[in-house]
Formats: sequence, C-alpha cells, structure tokens
Amino acid sequence: MTALTGLTIIETAERVVGEWAGKLLADFGAEVIKVERPGGSPTRAHGPHVNGASALFAYCNTNKKSVVLDLETEQGRATLNRLLARADALIDDHAENWCAARGLGPDAVRAAFPRLVHCLITPFGQNAPADRQLAYPINIINAGGWAWHTPSEAKPSDPPLKGAGRFMPSYDAGMDAAMATAASLWRQRRTGLGQTIDLAEVETQLSRADIIIGRCLAGDDEPSHARTRYDMGGPGASFACADGFVHLYMTTSKHWKGLRELMGQPGWMAEFPENWLEFHCTPDRVALFRANFAPWIAQQAKLAVTDAGQALGIPLAPVNDAADLHANAQYRHRGFFRTLDHPLLGAQTYPSVPYRMSASPVELTRPAPAPDADRDEVLA
Amino acid sequence: MSTAPAFAANPSSPTGPLAGVRVLGLVKVWAGPYATKMLSMLGAQVIKIESIDALDEMRAYGGVDIEHAPYFLSQNTEVLSARANLKSAEGIALLKRLITKADIVIDNLRPGALDKLGLSYAAMQQIKPDIIHVAIKMYGSEGPLGQHTGYAPSFAAIGGLNYLVGHEGAEPRGMNIRYGDTSAGAAAAYAAIAALHHRERTGEGQFVDLSAVEAISSLIGDSLFAQEVTGEPARHEGNFDPELSPHGVYPVADGGWLSIACGSDDEWRALSQGLGAPELADDPRFADHASRIANRAALDAVIAERTSEQDGETLGLALREAGVAAYPSASSLDLATDGHFWAHEAYRMVTSGNGDVRPVVGPPWRITPDAPRIENGAPTLGQHDDYVYGAVLGLEEAEIARLKESGAIC
Repeated sequence: MTALTGLTIIETAERVVGEWAGKLLADFGAEVIKVERPGGSPTRAHGPHVNGASALFAYCNTNKKSVVLDLETEQGRATLNRLLARADALIDDHAENWCAARGLGPDAVRAAFPRLVHCLITPFGQNAPADRQLAYPINIINAGGWAWHTPSEAKPSDPPLKGAGRFMPSYDAGMDAAMATAASLWRQRRTGLGQTIDLAEVETQLSRADIIIGRCLAGDDEPSHARTRYDMGGPGASFACADGFVHLYMTTSKHWKGLRELMGQPGWMAEFPENWLEFHCTPDRVALFRANFAPWIAQQAKLAVTDAGQALGIPLAPVNDAADLHANAQYRHRGFFRTLDHPLLGAQTYPSVPYRMSASPVELTRPAPAPDADRDEVLA
Repeated sequence: MSTAPAFAANPSSPTGPLAGVRVLGLVKVWAGPYATKMLSMLGAQVIKIESIDALDEMRAYGGVDIEHAPYFLSQNTEVLSARANLKSAEGIALLKRLITKADIVIDNLRPGALDKLGLSYAAMQQIKPDIIHVAIKMYGSEGPLGQHTGYAPSFAAIGGLNYLVGHEGAEPRGMNIRYGDTSAGAAAAYAAIAALHHRERTGEGQFVDLSAVEAISSLIGDSLFAQEVTGEPARHEGNFDPELSPHGVYPVADGGWLSIACGSDDEWRALSQGLGAPELADDPRFADHASRIANRAALDAVIAERTSEQDGETLGLALREAGVAAYPSASSLDLATDGHFWAHEAYRMVTSGNGDVRPVVGPPWRITPDAPRIENGAPTLGQHDDYVYGAVLGLEEAEIARLKESGAIC
C-alpha cells in the first residue's frame, strides 16, 4: 500500500515521455494498465536488447500491467472504453490527429468520461500548428533552448548538444505530466470530477529555465544569439584529473582561500586579489587560473581530491560515472538502486526515485510486463 | 472544506486542482522556490516565509532593490509572502502556529538548519500530526554524506549526468551549468502531491527526503540501467542516437543550427527530397537504417553540406511540412520572440506585488475546467502579512501591529 494505491490509470502512451509519466504513478502503487498495439509498444523496439528484451522498456515500465488492444478496430476501441469507464486517469502521448481519429481527443473523452483525468502529452501542446506535431527528444531540447546553450562556454562552431542519453527531455516532461495528473487526481478524490491536462513537452524545457528566459522576456537581460547566454561566468568548469574528471564551481573569496590551502599555496595564486572572484573576475584572470589549475588537478585522484575539497568548503565535485554512483556510500545508504528480477533480463539493479518517503515509499514490485501479460485479469 | 471561507477572503484565492492545499515555503535560490511555484501553478496556496534579516538571495541578484530583483520576479508567480523573523523566539512561534494551518512545509535550507530552530519533522509532527514535510538537500537529509553541501552547478556532475554530455571525440563537458536545480524542484513537488494522496487515504502525514543529485540521476536512468544489463559503459556520444538516422544538429546560415531526426526510411526519403537531393535516399550507403548508422559520418557530412547555406527557419518549416522533424536550435532571442510560445500562453503576463506587469514563463500545462489561476506575479516582502496573520492565523490587528513592532514580523 502506498500513495496512489487504489487508483487505476490507463496508459495509451507509446513514447518514452508518456510511459515515464505512467511509471512515476505506477511506482506509487497506482494500477497502471498499459494498452499496447498488436506487436507491442513501439518503445519495445528501442535497444539495447538482451535475451530479446528491451532494457529501455524494462526500465520505463516497471510496476505496470499490459493488455494488447487494436485501437484500429471498433472492437479494440470498445474494449478500451470499458477500461476507461472504470479508470481514474488516462495518459496519452500521441499527436492530435491520431487521438481524434480514435475517439481519444480531449472533447470526446471529456464527454464520455466526465470523471476521468485525461492527460495529453504532445511536443507543443493541443492546437499547435500542423507542422509542430512530430518532434523527437533532440528536437524538443533544441526548440526549448537548452541545447543551444550546452555545454557552457559553447563555441559558435560546435553543434548544440542533445543532453545526456536519448530521453532526458522526455523524463523532464514526463515528470511534469505525472505531477499535474496526480494533482488532478487529488481533486478528483475530493470532487468526483475529472479534468483535461494539456502538457507541452517543449514548455517543460522553458519552465526549467524560468529565471533565465523570464529575465529575457521582461528585458532585464538582453536576449541574443549568444551561445553563452545561460552561462554564469567565472572560472568554474570541468577539468580532467588523473582518473576522470572533476567539476569546479568557485564564486567567493572563501572558496578561493580553501582552494589555496588545498593546493598548498603555490606562488601564482598570490598574484590574484583575495576577492577576485567577487569583484575582479576578468576573462584574463579566468584564463590564467585555468592554465595553472589544469596541470595540478590533472595529477589528482577524483574522489580523494573532491573529498579534500569538500572538507575545505570548496565546491569541487567528482564527475561521476555509472560505476561511481553504484559505489557511492550515500546512494547505497538511501537504496537508490533496487534489485528486481525480470524473466528475460534476470536480476538487475534499477535506478529508482530521488524522494524517500517515510510513510508511502516507492516500491518496485513487478518487472515490466510481457505484451498482453495481464489480459485475463484486466479484462475480467 | 472547512478552510473555504478563509480562501474566499484571500485576494489570491486559488483555483485549480490543488485549491484548498496550503504550502509553507522555507525556500531560497532556485530548487526550493521552483518546487513551490509548481504547486502554486496547480492551485495550491503557497506562503513564502521571509525576513529582511534572512532574505532569499534571489531578492538581491541583479536588482536595484529587493522589490525589483529580476530573478525573484521571474520565479515566484502566484506565491504569497509573509514575514517571520526566525532569529526571534516570537518569530519561530509564529511559524509554528502557521504550521498548524498548513498541509505541506517545503524547505531547501542547509541540512540541520530547521532542527536548530526546533522545527525538525518530529517537532512539526508534535504541533501538526498530519503535516507533510518535504526537505530538498543535495544528498538528502541524513546518511554518510548527508551533511555534504554543495551548489547546484555541482549536482549534474555528482549525479552522473555531466559525464554523459559532450561532443564525440572530445572530453565530456556536461549540460549548461544552470541545468538541474529545477528538475530537482519538480521531483520534490511531485513527491509532495503523492504525500497528499497518502494523507487523503490514511490521514497520515510524512517526511519526504529529496536528494537533488538523485533527481539528476533519474534523468539518465536508462543509461545507468543499460550499463548494468549489457556491461557496456555508458559514455557521452555527441548527438548520436543508435535508433534514429540521421540524428543531429546541422549548421544553417548566419551561425544557426537545425536539429533533424528521422525515425523511418520514409522520413529519411522526405528529408532527402526536402534538401533537394532525392538521390541520397537511393544511395546504397544510406539506403536503410543500418547503413545510415554504419556510414554516419558521411551521412552527417552530406546533410550539413546541403543545410549550411539555407535559412534555418525557412528550411525547418519546409521540412516539417514534408513530415520531417526539423526544428531550429533556439537561442534566447529565438525563444523570446517565438510567436507560438506567446500565442499558446507558454509565456504569461502577471502583475507583480510591486505593481509592474511582467511576462513570466508559465507552467507547461493547460488544465480545464477549473484552471489554476496565473495572474499574480512575485510578491513584495511581507505583502501578505495581514492576510496570513489575520485571516489564516486569526490574530487581532493590534497583535499583528505589536509583532511588527517587536521585530517578530520583519
């Protein structure tokens, strides 16, 4: 029994963004019934595949049930309607015309199921122009501004970057979809009424930069084509160390004092004003600092030097990789990685959630389903 | 609901799915205020607890005074401000009384800071048994590294995300330094709503212990999982995606860039036609997905050759109309002048507490019916003192005046 136990959610979503929203709800105990097309959800085709199972699908669909319905047929749609009649919410991430053709547009669903919370996730929102219906995650992160400004200090000749992995914008938008859906479900508990949630993936990208874009909109900051408009300036950056990379962020004289101590007070540091980070942070000094810091940090071990830095109050952080996270004492203590047995993938450790809940914790109870695995139970 | 009359009297009376929920925000800088803003944009009544003696740094950054600070004005939409001086015993007592009227307390103060004020979760439970306390910390609230503190720009490095961002063949450089704080705040807001459900079902409150670096790790979960399953180390890969071809960001005229991705041979054929080079689709090097992946460098080169002289907006629109996902990479100027974002109300006009009308970035959702109201911008310091201490706590005017005089409300 956890936070959303007792709620039933139908997931017609077939992209990672909608599946992620469904997973976030399923992790809190909602019964999430994934409706798959004959042949299975298109996300099952995403690799890597091991023993015939998609690792991506396995990760994004834990705690769900599966039923295969052909929504191209009247019978399939009728069965879906039977499911919707007893459900609390519907999560979809198809284009508007796809939904309209299957009776799954917002008005049709509202008319037929007034108690249902209906969350529609699209790249640019409902009623977006016809040419803005199809967008992949790389398009979302570019249209939303983060790619243009990534990495920090991007050179005009380097292409903007898509972020980490394949689906970062989908996880961000899926989180917002789950949040709005859960909020509306809370209202449903109190009022018995449903709502329509129109979530625009690219607007999550804008929202995540609210204080940057907001200042540009209001004229506090000059909007421009500069690749560095989101940057914070200063000497902070990633640096190669002996066994990987570290990230330095340094903005105060206290940080500077700590770093001098960490480095053993080398002579070149004495040439910098004590308060240079606050008041005299010129590009020349940043370059001079980096030219001297880089060869020193290149000799240091990632975890040893960042631990020493933390003790001196310097925001010097390890650039962790997956193995580092698995070995991290705090991640282990909090149980961020959980083990779950999957019939094809075997026992594997799954990244879980960043919130530990004292009364209604997230539990990984079932591996991602095989297509149609729960037909008998779901349609009984 | 018993609280309805008080809300009705409130000039900021909320609508929306979380109408009736009251949140106290002991929040500063970005992740915490973002979490409370997400809840206010879903209709919760958010009261930010502030004091002139312990200001949110955002009230200072970049402004001529604390009521015209651009960062603060950009983020505290539909948030109320009540002053409480937590350096005074009476101020802490006021906050405790407010907690008895609240559903959720969110804080992103340093680990242990609330404990020192006598406001640990256990202490809050004593005065409001079903309170929900959401604590946002870099590494969480306890544990072997629970006392570590850090700055948001470090989170993406610690959480494993920065290692996976960089150009191919170069060192990993990470996301833009600003990325990550808001994603952590969003996760906190979601967990708070889950806790509301649990309370509604069982009557029980709880403590929600959010780790900002784990929030970052959840944005790369499939990469971490794939490494576990396959044994292949996850690493940065530029704009490569093994399942879409082509997939990249290509140069266009005037220093612009155009993101293009094709999910099928049909989309690739449409792209080659849209680039005025239909013969590319018949080139054996690019005939199917496997060939395009194998000959990726050549593919990217022939596309870049055909995009680099063209206007990005014009080419992007033409390609999209032909069924290809092609969108210009947006600069801050592109974002600020995008007609669709303005027309679709991604940006909203709000009236700040200082009287100025100002555009802000709205929420990514439109909710109907009973839409959350998004009209009031960031509050001035203590703008809602009288509402909060009068209508919410029920104090007499004279008592409020005395507390202002004594420095408990300042």
